[in-house]
Amino acid sequence: MAEVIQNEPIANGIYRMVVSGAPLGRAGQFHMLRMPGTLDPLLGRPISICEADAKTGETTFVYQTVGRGTAQFARLLPGQEIEAQGAYGNGFPLIAGNAVLIGGGIGTAPMLQLAKELRADAPSRRIDVYLGFREEAYLEEAFTRYADSVTLNIGGYVVSDVNFSRKATFYACGPSPMLRAAVIAAEQANASLFVSLEKHMACGVGACLGCTCQTTNGRKRVCKDGPVFDYREVQDAI
Amino acid sequence: MPSNPLALTLCGVALNNPVIAASGTFGFGHEYAQIMDVSRLGAICGKGLTLSGSAGNRGMRVYETPSGMLNSIGLENPGVKHFVEHEASYMRTLGPAVIANLGGHCEEDYLEGARLLNGADIDILELNISCPNVKAGGMAFGMLPDTAADITKKVKAISKHPVMVKLSPNAPDLVAVARACEHAGADALSLVNTFLGMAIDVKKKRAVFENVYAGLSGPAILPIALRMVHQVAHAVQIPVVGMGGITSAEDALKFLMAGAVAVQVGTMTFANPNAMLAIIDGLADYCTSEGLQNLQEIVGII
Repeated sequence: MAEVIQNEPIANGIYRMVVSGAPLGRAGQFHMLRMPGTLDPLLGRPISICEADAKTGETTFVYQTVGRGTAQFARLLPGQEIEAQGAYGNGFPLIAGNAVLIGGGIGTAPMLQLAKELRADAPSRRIDVYLGFREEAYLEEAFTRYADSVTLNIGGYVVSDVNFSRKATFYACGPSPMLRAAVIAAEQANASLFVSLEKHMACGVGACLGCTCQTTNGRKRVCKDGPVFDYREVQDAI
Repeated sequence: MPSNPLALTLCGVALNNPVIAASGTFGFGHEYAQIMDVSRLGAICGKGLTLSGSAGNRGMRVYETPSGMLNSIGLENPGVKHFVEHEASYMRTLGPAVIANLGGHCEEDYLEGARLLNGADIDILELNISCPNVKAGGMAFGMLPDTAADITKKVKAISKHPVMVKLSPNAPDLVAVARACEHAGADALSLVNTFLGMAIDVKKKRAVFENVYAGLSGPAILPIALRMVHQVAHAVQIPVVGMGGITSAEDALKFLMAGAVAVQVGTMTFANPNAMLAIIDGLADYCTSEGLQNLQEIVGII
């Protein structure tokens, strides 16, 4: 259980919720969030960690209202409780050297905590962030706290802004077409790319097998073995 | 030391309580063992097995519905041999009674699977003739009394383990199937598996699931499942294990009063991994407040 500290829209259909208590975890991991005591909707919603602050014990989730579950979250007021199970999933690896972060739409959210961890891990590394949005940008200012550059693309193809020939580790989270484009570009440049996948899931812990995908190393569960994978492993699953 | 009011015997197997993790919702215990005290459960039903294993269904596999969910996993599983060699012994270390769930494409698969499971340290074989999502799940066997009885009889002849037959609510005459399984030698019955349902993506103008139909579970099905458990429990002499949308101790009590000696909980575990533990605590509290020596005293009172 966590207490909602803040829950406000930051763009059309996009909310930023700060909670205090249980959650935390690290970049790329997620929590199953759920309205306490309700049986409808029944299942938790996998929401990735946007920011985790160990000092204050506060965790920030940025989520999009796409259905009944997230619409309920949007109505939560400060002081109310939200049920949270987690942190689940493997999270992003922090690879030494420069980093390029690519976020598309709500896939931008986990990239913020990644930028924060990469910066804390090596203050001298170069971090370049590329964010793509269909109509309206959000979170872009928060990235400037950790990144050396933040490039915005509104209405276009964010992957086309990125030079994959650079010597860096690439990280991407966003809609499938964006990830597919990133995979093709990374392959052509023989770049190192980690992608965070999203799939419908029921349990979030690897038990229901609702989110498995075919990888080069057999079948894997996006929730438990992922959501972060080396793109070479999951090329056929994106 | 006072006796445990939740204790029961199912198919000759002593269970600490009547709360069983339902097949397909608990893997083989690995995942939930990391986040909850699985040792407190009465029993664990492992993921449904098919003889050679399966990658499961393509496309969308889980889809939430009002107070429930549709699934079309398609029995993704590592196969009976892998289970016998690796999973059964692990499940034994967890503490609760161990139940293996076996599905099959055809009679030969069931019989060979049952034969292989004789080599595994399990307590009960749950014969799955009710998975609606794959032909290999065996729902075809569970729809009619004759075919259900035939496979039950043949598996019983081979298995050294007690056999609990898991029934499909999609059978046109569920009570007749239940009676047929009893006559064929089933040691117990478990019901209900999921109800065949459907979802349509209106925007894409197509069915959500590649198989078009999928299995509905969760609180949405509870009243129907309860009615079916009541009907079957009153029609057979063998123990009935009830399931279908149980989320609380109160729900579990409904199934016990309807005639089930134990319950399985599945979908609710997805929503709250600790739900089964809360149900066990609630049942113990109920025994105390009602002054029951044993919870089994209320089985079938309605």
